[in-house]
Amino acid sequence: MQAHAIQGERVTLPVRIRDAAVGSAMFAVPARAAQAVIAYSGLEVAAPLPGRAICSLAFVRYADGDLGPYHEFAVAFLVRPPEAEPPGVLGRLRGVGAFIHWLPVNQEFTLDAGRTIWGFPKEITDIPMDLAGRVKRCAVRLGGRTVIEVAVKPGVPMPAGTAAPKVDAYSCLDGVTRRTPWTLTPSEVRTRPGGAKVVLGDHPVAEELRGLGLDRARALSTSTVGHLQMVFDGAEEVRR
Amino acid sequence: MKRTALVTGAAGGLGALAARRLAAAAWDVVAVDTDEAGLAETALRSPNMHVRTCDVTDPGAVLDLLALIGPVHRVVHAAVTAPAGAALDQPPAEVKQVLDTDIYGTMHVVRATLPGMLERGAGELALCAPPPRAGAAAAASGAVAAYAEALFREHGGRGVTIRCVQLDDAAPPRLALDALDRSLARPPGDLHVRPGRRRPALVEGIRSALNLRPTE
Repeated sequence: MQAHAIQGERVTLPVRIRDAAVGSAMFAVPARAAQAVIAYSGLEVAAPLPGRAICSLAFVRYADGDLGPYHEFAVAFLVRPPEAEPPGVLGRLRGVGAFIHWLPVNQEFTLDAGRTIWGFPKEITDIPMDLAGRVKRCAVRLGGRTVIEVAVKPGVPMPAGTAAPKVDAYSCLDGVTRRTPWTLTPSEVRTRPGGAKVVLGDHPVAEELRGLGLDRARALSTSTVGHLQMVFDGAEEVRR
Repeated sequence: MKRTALVTGAAGGLGALAARRLAAAAWDVVAVDTDEAGLAETALRSPNMHVRTCDVTDPGAVLDLLALIGPVHRVVHAAVTAPAGAALDQPPAEVKQVLDTDIYGTMHVVRATLPGMLERGAGELALCAPPPRAGAAAAASGAVAAYAEALFREHGGRGVTIRCVQLDDAAPPRLALDALDRSLARPPGDLHVRPGRRRPALVEGIRSALNLRPTE
């Protein structure tokens, strides 16, 4: 069994999250600009629609899991798997992964674990969140200044057990790109077209998102997950 | 600014979830229970959670605890017990244990925490009324709710938000805590939080649009 020493604790893989709650929004953004944002990873954005890439914003409350309780905010892009893929539209969508571009958290244990075990681009920020109201809200603040605020309106309930998606999460820290097998089991899912409001501050990541038009764009879709279980396996390095 | 939350009954169930959610939201959490092993599990890998073993039925122990941890901004008192023993079958020892924990325990926690909050003119005090399953638990549930009403009459409107979460077996802890969070977000709000009974969304919308005063 693979294990890591994090702050004097032994964290064994796979890491299991037993209860989390999520608000998220997906946006279609110009593919060329998105590619420039993630060029440092050596990966290519997936473009399910010609010229458009998919940027996803998500906020997560981890209530019960192997990394302790914490809040997290994620900026991710859908990317093509680095190896060869079958041609055609279906081929383009098959095996799509999520490249995690920025992953602020509000607790030290998960910061160390995330960076050490998977090379996730975690850093410490304040992440106030409201997941109990009709509209789910989250903000990321650094040194008292707002980096980003996201509000997600309620959608319509999705049927339970539609899928337990297996996704590859990609990350790039200190010039090393990694792939992490990731399984999600969501329930109490609500989704809708549009329904997101994004406010951007003056942080470099906010500038990047402004460059992609996220503060003006209508979301493709927004979702909330009342109860999410996840499993993270060990990361492997991706040759570039 | 660090805010301190005191969560009782934090070794499992609703108390454990409340402690973890508050820790996730960067509160300084003091997690209290008599079950040391359960507490350790709740606080696993949570640097801003501190565990204390304390029996809420012992008023001296509760006062000592408060002297140790200093000012508390939010209390979630979830150390309640609700065995399903029927009124005429329950052994007297069980009846006494339920009333000791649920009623006296609640009073001890309130008397140790509410005066400081009133003095500071700020705070949130959430009491849990046990699920009124049967016998002594049903009596304790009504007693905690009535006690919360007395606190509200005597101390409402002085900066301390008082809530009584009416636990029942229909609503899992997750939804009970969501209902409490929604209620705390509306400071006037209703004293009683009933997670099992949802008001129709339209009524809720009109109420919040008009910002109606408490109905209790």
